[in-house]
Amino acid sequence: MSEIKTHARAVSDLDDGRVVASVELAVVPERVFQALASRDVVDWWVNPGVFDTREWAGDVRVGGRWRASGVARGAPYALEGEFLEVDPPRKLVQTWHIAGAPGTPSTVTYLLEPIAGGTRLTVHHAGLAAPDQRDNVGAGWRSSFDRLSEILSVDRD
Amino acid sequence: MSRIRAKTDAFRAIADPTRRAILDRLRAGPANAGTLAADFRSSRPAVSRHLRVLREARLVVDTRIGRERVYAVNPVPLQAVAGWLEGYRAFWQTSLTQLKRNLEAK
Repeated sequence: MSEIKTHARAVSDLDDGRVVASVELAVVPERVFQALASRDVVDWWVNPGVFDTREWAGDVRVGGRWRASGVARGAPYALEGEFLEVDPPRKLVQTWHIAGAPGTPSTVTYLLEPIAGGTRLTVHHAGLAAPDQRDNVGAGWRSSFDRLSEILSVDRD
Repeated sequence: MSRIRAKTDAFRAIADPTRRAILDRLRAGPANAGTLAADFRSSRPAVSRHLRVLREARLVVDTRIGRERVYAVNPVPLQAVAGWLEGYRAFWQTSLTQLKRNLEAK
């Protein structure tokens, strides 16, 4: 197991509006894929005191929908999207959007590579910073940002 | 609210590729509208419109030097945009750490 790195790493690319994260896991890709595309999601989309995912349901096939809901900072939230690519145990691509918000969904791509002793999982979350927004979405766009900020943001102020 | 509003305006401002290019140019050093128009082979009114959007989002600040108005980058709202991405970065960092804990516990 010495090949497996201890920590997850995530970096953001401001110009591109993208976050890239990766982690090495001492389990086979099939097991990792299951954790990405099943109710197992509720066990790891969790940050104590910030957000807590409680429900996940998905129709895991191209064109199928998924939805996750839970509580973030005391208020309910729901995320949803569509599976764009389902290629177990190598790749899963899904759109990622706060339920009911206007604007273009972002896209999450999971890539799974077998490595000695386990799996390297890489996440690309793209389309975050510079969505193709028309001026007339104004208020709704702003409120979706507010809500997502609340859900996701670390305490900075 | 004003913090969020400035952040949203910054997003809208940098959604345009020409404005991103103007910001990149200004990172190299302050310039006036005439210089920018020449650099971008754009009409001066077009550049002025972009500069107005950038100024309203507080991504650039202008200083009057004699009869000239010189524009420079103001990094503060970009930090707000970076802060927005930081939320996602933190989300994935935390979640993948939790995933590792769960999968390797068994």
